[in-house]
Amino acid sequence: MHQWTAYFLLLTAPAAAQVSYQDIQKGPAQDWLTYAGSYGAWRYSPLKQITVNNARNLTAQWVYHVPNARGLRASPIVYKGVMYVTNTNSIYALDARTGRLIWQWLDTRANKQGVNRGAAILGDRVFFTSTDNYLNALDRQTGVLLFSRKFADADSGITSTSAPLIAGNKVIVGSAGGDSGMRGFLAALSPETGDEIWRTYTVPAKGEPGSESWSGLIEWGGGATWLSGAFDPSTDTLYWTTGNPWPDFAGQPRQGDNLYTCSLIAVDLATGKMKWHFQFTPHDTHDWDAQSWPVLIDTEWEGKPRKLVVHANRNGFFYVLDRVSGQFLHATQLIDKVTWAKGIDANGRPIAVPGQDPTPEGNWVCPSVKGATNWMGQSYNPITGLLYVLTLEQCGLYTSSSKTPEPMKNFAGGGATEEGGQVILRAIDPKTGKRAWEYPMTGLGRMWTGTVSTAGGVVFTGDDDGHMLALNAKTGAHLWHFNMGELLTASPITYEAGGKQYVAIASASAIFSFGLFEPAEPMIPPKVIFTK
Amino acid sequence: MILTPMIRAVFLCILTAAALPAQHGRYLSESKNAAIGDPQSIAAGAKLYATSCAGCHGPDGSGGRGPNLVRRSLWHPLSDEAIFAAIQKGVPGTDMPPTRLPDEETWKLVAFLHSMIGPASENKVPGDPAAGERIFRSRSTGCSNCHSIAGRGGRLGPDLTDIGGRPLGLIKDAVLKRSRDLSLAGSEGVTVKLKNGQVIEGVARNRSNYSLQMVDKSGTLHLFPMGSVSELKISERSIMPDDYAKRLSRKELDDLLAYLARQTSRRTN
Ligand code: HEC
Ligand code: HEC
Repeated sequence: MHQWTAYFLLLTAPAAAQVSYQDIQKGPAQDWLTYAGSYGAWRYSPLKQITVNNARNLTAQWVYHVPNARGLRASPIVYKGVMYVTNTNSIYALDARTGRLIWQWLDTRANKQGVNRGAAILGDRVFFTSTDNYLNALDRQTGVLLFSRKFADADSGITSTSAPLIAGNKVIVGSAGGDSGMRGFLAALSPETGDEIWRTYTVPAKGEPGSESWSGLIEWGGGATWLSGAFDPSTDTLYWTTGNPWPDFAGQPRQGDNLYTCSLIAVDLATGKMKWHFQFTPHDTHDWDAQSWPVLIDTEWEGKPRKLVVHANRNGFFYVLDRVSGQFLHATQLIDKVTWAKGIDANGRPIAVPGQDPTPEGNWVCPSVKGATNWMGQSYNPITGLLYVLTLEQCGLYTSSSKTPEPMKNFAGGGATEEGGQVILRAIDPKTGKRAWEYPMTGLGRMWTGTVSTAGGVVFTGDDDGHMLALNAKTGAHLWHFNMGELLTASPITYEAGGKQYVAIASASAIFSFGLFEPAEPMIPPKVIFTK
Repeated sequence: MILTPMIRAVFLCILTAAALPAQHGRYLSESKNAAIGDPQSIAAGAKLYATSCAGCHGPDGSGGRGPNLVRRSLWHPLSDEAIFAAIQKGVPGTDMPPTRLPDEETWKLVAFLHSMIGPASENKVPGDPAAGERIFRSRSTGCSNCHSIAGRGGRLGPDLTDIGGRPLGLIKDAVLKRSRDLSLAGSEGVTVKLKNGQVIEGVARNRSNYSLQMVDKSGTLHLFPMGSVSELKISERSIMPDDYAKRLSRKELDDLLAYLARQTSRRTN
C-alpha cells in the first residue's frame, strides 16, 4: 500500500465550504447553524415541505442512540447534511439523512461531568465545551481536534453546559454552577486559538457599581449564564439572561437587589461592556433564573417601528422591553397562578406580596421552583406573529435553611418541592401578552422541551409524556404525534438534506429525525470488492 | 437553578454512571504512594520485574504464559491498589503466583508497572521529542500526511493530538506492528466508483449496505447513498505502511515515540 504515502507528498489543506458569520446571520434554511436557529433566537425555519396539511404523514426516518446518554439536553446543529450533537464531554457528527455516525470525539481528560446543550459552527470548525470549562474546536469534516483551551477554573465552582454562540469572529461562552456559589460571566474567545478577548462578570466585584446591591456573599453571587443568548448584528449587541443569586433560597445573607442576577443584560460585542441591564426578579429567593433566551422582534409599537426584546420569565411574567435603550415597556402574567407578586409596576419592578420567602417549615408559593417556564424557552413565528411558550401551572413548597452558607458544597440555602401541576403550550401575541391559543397536556407535569415553528405553519414540540408533537401554528390544533418512549429534555430543530425536510429532536438517550413518508425506492447495491 | 434537590441527586448518580465508559482505556491512577512516578523506585521496580515477572508477562509486558499487561489495561484498567494486591496475593486458581515481597518493594514494582501500562504522557520517555517531531513531519516517514496533531497534518488516519494518553507500548505497537489484531472500523481504505463515473479514493468512516460516509485524500467528507455507488473496493489491509520497523533506526524510533508520548489534548496555555 505504499502508493498511499506517495499521494500525500503535497499536503493539501481541505478547500471545503465554510460557514461564515453572514451565513449564521441569514438564519436557518437547509441548515440550522446556531442553537436558537437565528440571532433573534426565533427557532423559526422558512422550510415548508412539511405543512399543516401533510404533517399527519410524518414518520421516523432514523434514530441514533448516543452512547451512554441518560438525559440529553442538546439541540443539534446541521450544516451541509451533517448533524452535530453533544453529550457530556462528547460530540458526535452524524449523516443527517441516515443517522449514521461519521466521527465522534470524547474529551477523556475532562474531570467534571455535566449536561451539555449543544455545539456551534464557524469556518470549518465546530465548537463545544467540556464540563470543566474547556472550549474544544474540531475540524467539522473529520473530527480532528484543533485545540482544547481552558477558559475558566472548575475549582472556583464554575462549569460549562451551554452551546457557544458565534458572533462576528468571536465564540461567546457562558458559565454554570450558580446553585453552589460561583461568579457568573460571559466571555468572548478567539475561534482560531481559544484566546480570551474579553470577559464580563454578571455580578460586580466589591466596590464596583452594583455591588451596593449585596449585603454579603457577592464573591459567590451566582448570576450564571447557562444558556445561549441572542444577538443583534445591526448594533453588535449580545442579549443574555442571567441565573439566580446564591444561596438560592436564603436571602438573609445577601440583602439587596443582588445585581445582575435574574436579569437581562445587553453587552457590546466588541468590548464586552454592559450597555444596560434589566432585572426581572430583584433579590430572588425562589431559584427563578431568568433563563431561556430573549427573543428579538422588530415591530410597530404605539404607531412607530421599534426594536423589541421579549422574554417569558420563570417568575411567572412575560416582558416586553425596548432593546436599544433597555426601557421597560410592558409585562403581563404568563401563567394563571402567580402568588408572589401582584403584578409589575410601571418601572418593570414586581409589586411583591409580603411573606413569600422560603421559611423553615415551608412556604407555599406559585409558580413552583421549576418556574412558569424554564430554559426550553420560546419560539417566534413571523407569519403568525405568535410566540410559542411552554408554560407550567404549578405551585411549590419553599423551605429555608439557617445553615451558614458554604460555597461549592452543593448548599442552596434551603430547598423546594412541588406538587401536581399542568404543562400548557401557549401561543401568545408578543406585543400584548394575550393568548391566541393553548394546548394543555396531561402528563407528568414535567416540561423540558422547547418548540420550533416553520413557514409550513407547523409548531413542533414535545409533551410531558414523551411524545413528539406537530401542531397547527395558527390554531394549536393537533396534527400528529409520535411516542418516543422517554421523557424529552431538549428542543427540536428542522433542516433539509437531499431535498427532504427533517425535524430532529433528542430524547433522553437518542436523536430522532422525522420526515414525510415516502415509499422505499428499489435499490441496486454496488459491487463490493475486498482487496488485500 | 433548574432542578429540585431530589431530582438533582438522581441526575448526579446518572451522570456519574454514564461517565465511566468514556474512561475506557484510561489508567486509574488515583494512588498517592510516593513510589509512583519516582524514577528511582521505577528503576528498582524494573529490576524486580525482570527477575520475577518477565518470564511470564514478557520483558515489555507484552505477554507469554501470563497475559499482555499493556493491552489488558485498555479493556480492564487496573488501579495501583489492584496491582499491588495482585502482586502480593497472586490470582488464586491461576498461574499467577503470590510473592512474598514486603510492601515497600511491592510499591516499587507497582510504580514500574504504572509507568509501563499508564499513559505515556505521565511517564518519562527516553528520546529527543524535537527530533521526533521532525521525523513525524518528514517526507520519508509521511506520518503527518495521514495524521494530524493539534490541527496540523492529514486527516485520513486517526487524530494523534491526544495519543500520549495511551501506554507507550501500545503507541510503539501501532507504529511498528500494523496488522496485529487491528480493527479497521473507521479507517478502511476505500475506492468508490459512482454511477455517474466519478472515482473517489479515501477512507470509510462508516458504511452500511445503504450508505457510505467517507473522507477523501484532501480531507473532504462525502456522504453517499449506496444507490449512487456502482462499485466499492475495500482494502482489507491498513493503509498505514507496515514497514516502519525496517525504515526507522532505533534512535529515530525513540525520538518519534518521545514526541508522540508528549501529545495530550490539554496543553498548558
Ligand atoms: C508463573 C507465571 C506468572 C508469573 C511469574 C507472574 N504472573 Fe502475573 N499473571 C499470570 C497469569 C496467568 C495471570 C492471569 C490471571 C487471570 O487469569 O486472571 C496474571 C495476571 C497478572 C496481573 C493482572 C491481575 C488482574 O487482576 O487482572 C498482574 C497485574 C500481574 N499478573 C502482575 C505480575 C507481576 C508484577 C509479576 C511479578 C511479581 C507477575 N505477575 C508474575 C502469570 C504470572
Ligand atoms: C497512509 C496513511 C498513514 C501513514 C503514512 C501513517 N499512518 Fe498511522 N495510521 C493510519 C491509519 C489509517 C490508522 C488507523 C489504524 C489502521 O488502519 O492501521 C493509523 C494508526 C496509527 C496509530 C494508532 C492510533 C490510534 O488511535 O489507535 C498510531 C500511533 C500511528 N498510526 C502513528 C503513525 C506514525 C508515527 C506514522 C509515521 C511513522 C504513521 N502513523 C504513518 C494511517 C497512516
